[in-house]
Amino acid sequence: MKELIKDPLNLIIIGVAGQGNVVTSQLVCDALVREGYLVTFGQSYPAQQRGGSVINYIRISKEIQCSPIIPEGRADVIVAMEPVEAMRMLAQFGNPDVITMVNPRPIQAIDITGSKAKYPGLNKVMEDIKDLSAKTWVINATEEAQELGNAIMANVILVGALVGCGLLPLERKSLEPVIEERFPRAFELNMAAFDRGVELAREQE
Amino acid sequence: MDVKVKGSKELFDEVINKGLCTLCGACAGACPYLVPYKGRIVLLDNCTLTEGQCYKYCPRTYTDMDAISQQVFGAPYSEDELGTTKEVLMVRSTDAGIREKAQYGGAVTTLVSLAMAEGIINSAILTRTTDDKTPKGFLARSKTAVLECAGSSYMACPVLESYNHVPEYSNHRLGIVAVPCQVLAVSKMKREPPQNRFDVNNIKLVIGLFCTWALSPDGFHQFLTENLNLPWVTKFDIPPPPANRFDAYTASGRMSFSLEQVRQFTMPTCAYCLDMTSEFADISIGSVEGTEGWNTVIIRTDTGAELMEMARVKAKLEIDKLPDENLAHLKEAALLKKKRALQEIIKKSGDEKNLLYLGLSQSLIDRLMV
Amino acid sequence: MPDIDIDAPGKTLLLMGNEAIARGALEAGIGFIASYPGTPSSEILPTLAGVAKRRGIYAEWSVNEMVAMMVATGASLGGVRAMATMKQNGTNVAMDFIATLTQRGLRGGGGLLLVNCDDPGQRNSPNEQDTRPVAKWLDIPLLEPGDFQEAKDMTKWLFDLSEELDTLCMLRCVAKISHTRGNVKLNELPEKEKKARFELDRLGRPVNPHAAVHEKLDKAQEKFELSPFNRYVGPDKADLLIITCGGSWLHSQEAVRLLKLEDKVGILKLGTLWPLPEKLVVQHLGKSQRILFVEETDPFVERSVMELAASLPPDSLRPIFYGKRSGHVPAYGELNPDSVIRAITKIMGLTYESRDADYSKKVEAAVKSDVVVRIGTLCPGCPHRASYWAIKNALKLDGRLGFATADNGCISAGLGPAGFYVAKTAYAMGSGAAVADGLGKLGQFGFDQPVLGGVGDSTFYHAGIPALLNAVWNKSNFTLIVYDNNATAMTGFQPHPGTGMTAMGDPAREVSIEAICRSMGVRVEICDPFDLEKTTETLLDVMKDEREGPRVVVMRRECELIRARREGPPYDVYVDTEKCLGDSCGCDRLCTRILRCPGLVWDEEAGKSKIDEIICSGCGLCADICPQGAIIREPVVTQEREIAEEIPGR
Repeated sequence: MKELIKDPLNLIIIGVAGQGNVVTSQLVCDALVREGYLVTFGQSYPAQQRGGSVINYIRISKEIQCSPIIPEGRADVIVAMEPVEAMRMLAQFGNPDVITMVNPRPIQAIDITGSKAKYPGLNKVMEDIKDLSAKTWVINATEEAQELGNAIMANVILVGALVGCGLLPLERKSLEPVIEERFPRAFELNMAAFDRGVELAREQE
Repeated sequence: MDVKVKGSKELFDEVINKGLCTLCGACAGACPYLVPYKGRIVLLDNCTLTEGQCYKYCPRTYTDMDAISQQVFGAPYSEDELGTTKEVLMVRSTDAGIREKAQYGGAVTTLVSLAMAEGIINSAILTRTTDDKTPKGFLARSKTAVLECAGSSYMACPVLESYNHVPEYSNHRLGIVAVPCQVLAVSKMKREPPQNRFDVNNIKLVIGLFCTWALSPDGFHQFLTENLNLPWVTKFDIPPPPANRFDAYTASGRMSFSLEQVRQFTMPTCAYCLDMTSEFADISIGSVEGTEGWNTVIIRTDTGAELMEMARVKAKLEIDKLPDENLAHLKEAALLKKKRALQEIIKKSGDEKNLLYLGLSQSLIDRLMV
Repeated sequence: MPDIDIDAPGKTLLLMGNEAIARGALEAGIGFIASYPGTPSSEILPTLAGVAKRRGIYAEWSVNEMVAMMVATGASLGGVRAMATMKQNGTNVAMDFIATLTQRGLRGGGGLLLVNCDDPGQRNSPNEQDTRPVAKWLDIPLLEPGDFQEAKDMTKWLFDLSEELDTLCMLRCVAKISHTRGNVKLNELPEKEKKARFELDRLGRPVNPHAAVHEKLDKAQEKFELSPFNRYVGPDKADLLIITCGGSWLHSQEAVRLLKLEDKVGILKLGTLWPLPEKLVVQHLGKSQRILFVEETDPFVERSVMELAASLPPDSLRPIFYGKRSGHVPAYGELNPDSVIRAITKIMGLTYESRDADYSKKVEAAVKSDVVVRIGTLCPGCPHRASYWAIKNALKLDGRLGFATADNGCISAGLGPAGFYVAKTAYAMGSGAAVADGLGKLGQFGFDQPVLGGVGDSTFYHAGIPALLNAVWNKSNFTLIVYDNNATAMTGFQPHPGTGMTAMGDPAREVSIEAICRSMGVRVEICDPFDLEKTTETLLDVMKDEREGPRVVVMRRECELIRARREGPPYDVYVDTEKCLGDSCGCDRLCTRILRCPGLVWDEEAGKSKIDEIICSGCGLCADICPQGAIIREPVVTQEREIAEEIPGR
């Protein structure tokens, strides 16, 4: 197995309900278990109903089965499908060494459509994220996914980006069997999305 | 004098919950949150705006009568009992069909149809009664439709709500037939035209009706339902004094109620109104005391005069001089309404200096307080 | 992910706790499972239902948890291993039956398990509840898994225990174990052999039922003393002993590791919680002068151990107990590694910094401007949004200060902004109807406010029928609104008696809600909530109906998420930026501020509203709301038909 950059490795994938980030997380975790890692993949839904945030905690270790919840300030990698969600995670789990990967497409909360709050300026949020991370990868996953034909492919693109960044102890061939199993009829399309993600990450290096 | 405009909260605090609302419909015509329903104005959702058209155009928020009069006539508010007047006439329609369906002499229906035929207007906001005799505002676009709206139900109808339904960029040249409070609201709109609504300057004709009081659409409708088979009624009528009756006509005849019986359903808010003859209309129209089948017509503006001339030339109306006695009685009645209204307002406000919504000149106040 | 019944002993899969429980049941040779959807338990049944036919298992969604428990018991009595799974509130519903069952025994039948999944922090429940005391109260052997492997292994082991002791056994799981995925190593699957028989000759009722069940528990306790589900890791003499169970075990291990106290702090994880393995516990109590209890949510193990300690001879060591009673661990809400760290550092007088202090300050400052609260809402296209809009308007037009009640499920959004605050109460299943029933009898006390009691369709079948029957019989004056979206949506779109399908995917007779109501002699109106005008009119008419007794309005329209799986949006919806006047409309942002559909947002830059094409479902409701007619909806035509014309409202 490829080496973990840290043991346990604490990875957070966060988005807004309905974006399909559970799928992303599952793909990654299935692949990791196949590679012989102990994985704990937990979820948390801060809002009580549909439309709220979904936080996936993925903890990877060679030796221990970790708790479903990452302790405060202990995230190693934060992948956010939405910029404000990245900030939300940095607030609780960030630290000077954290690496963030952000899909810079804002999604408005209904509290904003209810005119009580303003959605923060995208540029400011992105600046703050970069300021609070050791390194930030900006991956336009939604845009790229729309080009591939479906916004929901954003998940798989981000998986590719994670692998391309070397943050996960996985290779393309680790992902093939899990993508084949989950998306048998769309294998090629998903692998294309994965490859695009890898490319996007490499472009930023 | 422009007064501080407020919003829906104040509209309810100062007018609706204070028993001043006349159900004219102007506020509902301005706003999707306000709907008239069974004799009430209902606020469907809370509005956070601190300044609103609802308050601005309501005829029962502060109204500077001089300013309005300047807008309509280019002169201060007339101290005459009947308001600014060019001519007072007695008329009836030459069309028997109209006379049968319409009220009194059928002048309103005739003039609206004529204006439409001559292209002065191409649509009109009128009142139409449904099968169960509930009056509703209606945008009429043809002579047939106008005829359908002939006749009165005598119940308050929030006709100005229909203003909201006129498409903003349409090519309508609009006519409106309305009661005094509604005419006042329209005048307020003309003075400070609403944004993003149908251009108020495309209202080309305002016909006002004489009105002493209106009946409550909830209470009186209930009374009618209990005493009549409403779908069979073809027409209502309150014949001019001294008849003292409220009539309902069906195919088989006429059923009458005493006016006393009917007057218990008068809207209390009408007591605070001092305008009996729709003083800011182009033409004001009512019945003729003691004479059935004719209308009294007051011409006030050039628009009104031109239309009347057209009616004469095209022989749409039989036109006569209003007998002096009738004129004198009309003025008396109008003056009485003004005096009573002022008294009621002062009683309500509890302060001689507080005339609630009325902005009148001191000389007129003095005259009326005598 | 491979199928749950994969024949691969020794293989490791990533399974969520609920899937592991299902797998454990398979490995135990389960024949029968009954359940009612309830977060966090809902996944157990569908996991088994998916393989039920080829494994020769029967799986059913029952109409409610009491019935599920009874039905599973029936199977057990017939000699088949059976399981009933439910959330905490479901166990409440089944309680009377459980209380009787425990003292009757299984008559030598198949093993019978109650799997109860609790929801600490009540993320998806009307209350927060620790259901473990039920085991103590009603004399039921209770186990709680500490991780995903144990979820599987305990389930399997409990079936054996249940048969050996001839008694109901209980597995209690919390959401964090049920819904978290972790490594699970599989074991063998048994051969399929099931022959059901009800033994007529076995004694059904012991002479002294209560004493009899106590004896069974004594036997259980003996086994628990030796159970591998109770484990200790740490020094022989510890500065601090943590006694923990369930999900808190993983948190405790994490805390000790982060604090680097592995050689000072010992952890005793109990898996067999009731009866308490007393000898084992006493032995471990000797390891430290200080004992810290970490568990969710009530001090269940804490108090059991304290009671035990109080019963020890006077010259025994008296350790100091820390936990919820002492205030070191919160007695409500979910725990996490930081909760345990706080407790340990407080007891041991240590300091712990989760991260660099300067970083913390920096991030707090940024958060003030950058982070918005996301509050819960209804999905775009949800028929409840339309229903609640019509209800809101009808109540205002009616003018008598009327209100609605809500129940469990998606309709509970009626209490908040997504449902325009029309609903004022929500309690347990069926309360939307029955509480309204109570209010509807207050006429004699001068009560004149119209009440619209609300239940969902699944809730109607679960608990609404007796409530309506009561209202009819006792002539209560209110309107029952059944929000019929043809699904048990909130918990994951499980079928119910109205959907025409069973848990195992077989067709079923659709039991009609309105037929049931009409059979009671009740006036029933059926509305399509998206026809706002007609629905509002109907509500106004029904509220004015002065005949005595309740009436029913069925708001019928299929759940949008289900519909959207079948085909695309019924309308193309967009905002005409020429017609939309933004703030100068004077409508005070009616479309976004009041309607609050996630698919319709305010474009700050343009100063107008805008459809978010990725989120919008194309239902077209907002087009009816805009006073300028600026929101345009165009029917989508596909295969020569308009999708909108054919949306099931049945």
